[in-house]
Amino acid sequence: MTKYVIKRLILAFVTAFIILSLTFILMKLLPFTKPIGNAEVQYSYYMSQVHLGFVLDLPREATGYGERLFRYVDSTGLVHNFYQTPVMVQYVSWLRNIFTKWEWGTSTYIMPNVSAIIIIGHRLPTSMYINILSVVWSVPLGIGLGIFAALKKNTMVDHVISTLVMVFISVPSFVLITFVIWIFAYRLNWLPTQWAQVTDPTLTKFLSYIIPVFVLSFGSICGYTRFTRAELCEVMESEYLLLARTKGLTKRQAILRHALRNAMVPIVPSILAEFIGILGGSMILETLYSIPGIGGLFVEALNAKDYNVLFVDMALFTTISLVAGVILDLSYGFIDPRIRMGARK
Amino acid sequence: MEIFDNSKDYGFSSTSFEMVRKDTNVKIKDAKFESKPTTFAKDAFRRFCKNKSSVAGAVIIAILLAASFLYPAISPYDVSPTSTYLTQALLPPKLNKSGTGFWDGTKNYKHIVYDQINECPADFIAHAVTKINVGDIEYTNIASKYGRNGYIALYNDKVLAPGASDDSLNGFFLNYTDFKVTSSGNYVAKLGLGTKEGQFEEAEMTDYRVRLQYKDSDSSTKYLELADWSSNYTDQTYDLSSALITAGISEIEKAKVRVEIKAKETKTFLLIRSAEIVCADATENENLAGIGFTDANKAAMVTRNEDGSYDKNYWQSNVFRHVYNVEMKYCDFTYDAYDAVFGSNEMVIGQSIMNEYKAKGWCEYDFAVGPSSFVKLSEECPVDSVEEQHYDIKNSVYQLDTHTTYYKYLGLKKAPTYLLGTDAKGHDLVTKALKSLRTSLLVATIATVVSLAIGLVWGAIAGYFGGTTDIVMERFTEIISGVPWIVMMTLVILLLGNSIVTFAIALCMTDWIGPAATTRTQFYRFKGREYVLASRTLGASDWRLIFQHILPNGLGTIVTSVVLMIPGCIFSEASISYLGLGLKGVNSFGVLLSENQAYLNSFPALIIFPAIIISLLMISFNLFGNGLRDALNPSLKGGE
Repeated sequence: MTKYVIKRLILAFVTAFIILSLTFILMKLLPFTKPIGNAEVQYSYYMSQVHLGFVLDLPREATGYGERLFRYVDSTGLVHNFYQTPVMVQYVSWLRNIFTKWEWGTSTYIMPNVSAIIIIGHRLPTSMYINILSVVWSVPLGIGLGIFAALKKNTMVDHVISTLVMVFISVPSFVLITFVIWIFAYRLNWLPTQWAQVTDPTLTKFLSYIIPVFVLSFGSICGYTRFTRAELCEVMESEYLLLARTKGLTKRQAILRHALRNAMVPIVPSILAEFIGILGGSMILETLYSIPGIGGLFVEALNAKDYNVLFVDMALFTTISLVAGVILDLSYGFIDPRIRMGARK
Repeated sequence: MEIFDNSKDYGFSSTSFEMVRKDTNVKIKDAKFESKPTTFAKDAFRRFCKNKSSVAGAVIIAILLAASFLYPAISPYDVSPTSTYLTQALLPPKLNKSGTGFWDGTKNYKHIVYDQINECPADFIAHAVTKINVGDIEYTNIASKYGRNGYIALYNDKVLAPGASDDSLNGFFLNYTDFKVTSSGNYVAKLGLGTKEGQFEEAEMTDYRVRLQYKDSDSSTKYLELADWSSNYTDQTYDLSSALITAGISEIEKAKVRVEIKAKETKTFLLIRSAEIVCADATENENLAGIGFTDANKAAMVTRNEDGSYDKNYWQSNVFRHVYNVEMKYCDFTYDAYDAVFGSNEMVIGQSIMNEYKAKGWCEYDFAVGPSSFVKLSEECPVDSVEEQHYDIKNSVYQLDTHTTYYKYLGLKKAPTYLLGTDAKGHDLVTKALKSLRTSLLVATIATVVSLAIGLVWGAIAGYFGGTTDIVMERFTEIISGVPWIVMMTLVILLLGNSIVTFAIALCMTDWIGPAATTRTQFYRFKGREYVLASRTLGASDWRLIFQHILPNGLGTIVTSVVLMIPGCIFSEASISYLGLGLKGVNSFGVLLSENQAYLNSFPALIIFPAIIISLLMISFNLFGNGLRDALNPSLKGGE
């Protein structure tokens, strides 16, 4: 098992490395985006890029490097012609920067000349708070509803819960978000129409958490309810539960000691994976509710063609999903010894 | 062991034998099967039909599918993304005849500015307005085209230090266009002042004085005092001619009246309702009428001309000028947008069009005689009346001002009724939504089929063989799925261009991961089962184990996940377009939703209807998928 864990971790790292390398090269193949700002700001940006090895600084015009990015005559009269270095050279520089300086690139638009890592650091807490609140509230509620529906299987309560879950799981999230914002913020005027600013009063800040947390937890509550109900229903019909009942356990004991524990086997790993997902942000929600999180940052960066920020943001998402995958796979093995991931035929 | 050797001659051949029952006296008691033998597909179908909600889902999908193919084909409305019909943009839903009050293409407006001169809501067409209810006069401090009266507030935000002399700068001044004053003409300046308070909370009303400003012969500025500092806010009259007589001047060619307000230790203001210069001479009076004002709201709106010159009654001041207490009226009414667009409206039509109508025998018109010669002969004639002719340089008629019924002008037999209204491009929403649905469904189905084909093979191999094969294949899958689908899609759209085909390719590139993962899990689940072991013991090949034993068992789950991929594709496309990153300028569901996103508050039908369709589609596919899974894999019935 230890061997398998180590193998999985190393493989996850290698996978992450390959994904990031691939995306880096793909993104560098897209047209270069020039930074905003006046000539001095641009000059300092290009100089930092020269320093990082992504851009060449030549005293006269040259051919063979594609289009000239920028021309600048500094105070001493030196002429700077900036060109992009070849993509593979940029790739090597990029690797060197990460491993030696932990330097992931500089923003060109969102916060010009600021390191992308710092921007992510600014944006991460907001996304995290919302996610933590939503997980903390949706996991018990979802599982509780699922257990409730399974115990009352084929009664009115079960039908109502199942139908609602089916409806809400089917409605696309952007439709749900749009209508929740429209009804509660615009029509009824109960909640803020967008994420509270720093200067807003505490009450507004508190209220502006309601829509995002509610909308985010909606999907996972429905998911957990459905999943728990299905698993518990299956376990309830198993022979060992019948045996437990025949040997004299009360229904309560049988469910708590046997049914629930077995039903939780596939659910617990997905909860663990969900906790890793706390670091991510919902792109649709954060864009539509103007939340300064990393999901919204992604869309912002993509629209502004701020590829460096986009790349770091994407790297974060990739890492999160990979780690979540590893944890999901490993926890299956830990929780249920019958499942042996990676076993041969 | 051979019983017969055909080469030998036994005296009888193998064909001369006949199989017979030995115990003819015993009756066979086996009853015949009461039920007919059934196939797997028939059985699955029977089980599927038992599940009512799944059947409902399937029916809804079928209806939507049929509607998306048939409706755009029979619909007379053009919804191609390249065409726009701005005249009929954003019409409300209409099903019933106008005036029925429900779903009749009317919209209720509340608190709309009322145009008091044309006696209809501002910027609305009068004949389409019904049930109008004009409210009382309300006051606003913003100059408006539709406002009346009010005051001009001269507002001084300069604050003197405590104890500073009042006369240091004497506040500010205001002047008009120059005018001529003579000592014999009985020239009088009238100033209407007001005492309304409460507008400038931190400011207080201040003293004012009025002076006549003129240029001396040596072009130095001189003043004639008309009234000294005063705080009398009633209507004032200043006799300019007598002031001239007092000063011993007979005539001033270019004079201005200055109103100066005093600076104080707080901010100050003065309210002027009207300012007029009048004289005894009637023709001169007409000239003077332009340089004053009786309507402060109107005066505040007079601006500099485009050529840089000033309007005659333009007011220039070096203090802040606001309007104060402008009278506005607001009204509530019901507006029939269809009547407004397609009814008889003012319209300019060309000479050739009129000739066309004449040729068709719809009307009579003589260009030499003019508007009075217009006679409408047929109800088909779009033109209802002609108001005026316009001539070009060669003095021939080139266009006519008319009242024209717009739908007839478009060549329609009757005014169109859009069931759910039109969008910002003037396209019928129902046709557009269903046509978009068709495109999206087609793309989604193609992408799903391709993805399934790739995913099934990939997942089967990875899941069945396991070990190193699995690990290597999983790494590849992980790499592909590790790139977020939004990035993948945006990159493909950026690199290959903005089209439906590109989008389908982008979908295929990431979507095969889903079926592959499901198939792999199913293989892991079943490959250790006893029946597989038994089959393998009997010498079954890998091929047979995969396709005859394991795949049919896992098919239910795989099919369920694949069925959900179709709305999933529509959903991804819709989401990415909704965020503004996806396709543009094609009729697809996401584009439709993202285009209508802006009208959520003003025209909710535009977004509610597509949202309902996409939600309905997702729910139906979910129900359908569940029923399908239960039907294909009865052992899982009732789960999940």
